Amino acid sequence: MTRPLLALSLDSETDLVLVRQQARRIAELVGFDRQDQTRIAAATSELARAALGGGGGSVDFRIDGGETDQALAIAIRGRLRPEIAEASAAEPAGRGGPSGIAAARRLMDHYDLTAEPGGGHAILVQKRLPRNRRVGADRMREIGETVRREPGGDALELLREQNHELVLSFAELRSRQEELQRLNRELEDTNRGIVALYSELDQKAEQLREASELKSRFLSYVSHEFRTPLNSILGLTRILLDRLDGDLSAEQERQVVYIRQSADSLTELVNDLLDLAKVEAGRLELKPTVFAVADLFAALRGALKPLLTTSAVDLVLEIAPGMPRLRTDEGKVGQILRNLISNALKFTEAGGVRVEASVGPTGTVVFSVADTGIGIAPEHLDKIFEEFSQVDGPLQRRQKGTGLGLPLSRKLAQLMGGSLDVESAVGEGSLFRLTLPAAVAVGDDPIAPPKNRPPSAAAVRRRVLVVDDEPAFRYLVRQALRDVADIDILEAADGGAAVSALADVVPDLVLLDLEMPMLDGFGVLAAVRRDPRLRAVPVVVATSHPITADLKARLPGVDALLPKSALDRAAILEALGLAEAIGRRETLGLAEALGWTETSP
Amino acid sequence: MDRIPILKMGSALLVTIQVDMQDRLAMALEEDLTTRIAQTGARGVLIDISSLEIVDSFIGRMLDSIAAVSRLLDARTVVVGMRPAVAITLVELGLTLTGVATALDVERGMALLGERIAGAEGFDAGDIL
Repeated sequence: MTRPLLALSLDSETDLVLVRQQARRIAELVGFDRQDQTRIAAATSELARAALGGGGGSVDFRIDGGETDQALAIAIRGRLRPEIAEASAAEPAGRGGPSGIAAARRLMDHYDLTAEPGGGHAILVQKRLPRNRRVGADRMREIGETVRREPGGDALELLREQNHELVLSFAELRSRQEELQRLNRELEDTNRGIVALYSELDQKAEQLREASELKSRFLSYVSHEFRTPLNSILGLTRILLDRLDGDLSAEQERQVVYIRQSADSLTELVNDLLDLAKVEAGRLELKPTVFAVADLFAALRGALKPLLTTSAVDLVLEIAPGMPRLRTDEGKVGQILRNLISNALKFTEAGGVRVEASVGPTGTVVFSVADTGIGIAPEHLDKIFEEFSQVDGPLQRRQKGTGLGLPLSRKLAQLMGGSLDVESAVGEGSLFRLTLPAAVAVGDDPIAPPKNRPPSAAAVRRRVLVVDDEPAFRYLVRQALRDVADIDILEAADGGAAVSALADVVPDLVLLDLEMPMLDGFGVLAAVRRDPRLRAVPVVVATSHPITADLKARLPGVDALLPKSALDRAAILEALGLAEAIGRRETLGLAEALGWTETSP
Repeated sequence: MDRIPILKMGSALLVTIQVDMQDRLAMALEEDLTTRIAQTGARGVLIDISSLEIVDSFIGRMLDSIAAVSRLLDARTVVVGMRPAVAITLVELGLTLTGVATALDVERGMALLGERIAGAEGFDAGDIL
């Protein structure tokens, strides 16, 4: 049983001190008394010094022996100087010699010197453990661990190792740092490049914006300039056709008619261009009015009839039940639909064009224009909404177009907060779908909207309450509506008067000023909206304040907001949703025209 | 390399060995001591080895040698504070340190030194008178 407790190398005087200190420590741990600890340490010191004198070596500590008689064994290997080796062999135990080896022998129980092959020597000394002392395997491992942990033991070696590792780590760290710095520099360079690129991009974007602006201005300018000579041409052809300057021969008439047709289509193109430029410049403004889809369709049917050149194509316009009246720009909706329908008619040789208005999801209305025409290939579906693009094909070549209709239509739809989409397949026709926010049915009961307006209203007198502290304004309204039959104008000079008037009468319309002494327009509006009797009464606010989104937000439930400065008969009627009706049906009385609220017969 | 500090107390030098000396350190101590004795004209040297747990033949001989050299320089050496185990081991090593005076602790060592220095002076004085 010769497991070493500790192995030390012996190369310097420091090692020598270490060896004897560890020898004492091991002796203590193994269980020797103080005296023997000193003896063992001194003996080890002597022997180690002898080995060191010969050039160094090594020292092993271990426990030898069996179950009953254990001994601490110290084996020293080294190359002893010849004279010392000889003297040691010759010296009898018990006499102190010059080498100290003999002295050491006396301190220990067993001594053995053997020459090793190659000129080295091995000295083994042993000291029996005190009686009743036994070192088991566990204890041995424990002792080994203890002495190795102590400074000077393997700990020194450990420290050296750690130092070395530390140096290596430092080197690695330094190289990493350098790498990082290099990367950093690279990144900085890249960053500078990106910043430069960005500013270049900004510049480009600015140039593009300017170019776009210029294009819009050019378009608008050119369109304006084109319109003047066009109007002259149209006027002159009209004069010719009206025979104001004498008769035309049949041939001449045909020629002039062609001239006029060309001028007409040119006018159309110029108008489209102008609209497009306006939309792009953001100068196209919406003029929302309240109108019924039926009226719009009636006008469309009239306008498009001339395009129905063949009986092989039917044009059907239908309104789905439950369609509310809309508040949006009727002119622009009409423009879009005209465009879609005339397109559909152009590219349909047989079958039909079906126009349908229906209620869409979440307060929208959907106008769909379906045809049975040539259809559009999938790759062209996006292209058709680009300006000046036309799909090539025999039918397309026959049918002239500007390539502006669809892009303009889509822009107008977006301007009104809606969208224009298309579904199509070649040979199966196309379906254009115009979706617009609609839920602006003034005064209509949303649960049971009227299917149709009554063709002629009962002769019920309508009452309009004008609330304004300015007599001039009240007078203006009275004058504006003077020639409209069956209408009563009620006047209130301030908010209080208005509220008390409203207590007696439920008017068909309230025309309300905002700035008033005492109870102002906001207060009156709140009172009207609080009263369940009055909740359905349409309120139109006329104000001299600038009309801003902020102001609109402060006036919930107001059906229209119009500036006083622009107030005239037409504006009032338009705001009341009557302009179109009046314009189309001059003969109708206001009683019928004032159809905001549905009074079932 | 470290040196063992040497303190001067009156006409004596005091050396306290508190570490397990390397051989070279022990030899350096001998050199330093002889130099200081010559410089200061010290009459006594007190070496405290109470911290030493191991004294092998080399250290023992070194102490012997220091005492012998000091004596030649007219200084008495007293080694104090030797542990019993160390003393026994030294004897067993065959080193009796015959040239070195010893005392149990520093106090007694100083007393011994004073006695010897005074005695020597007294003797010298008497000799002359």
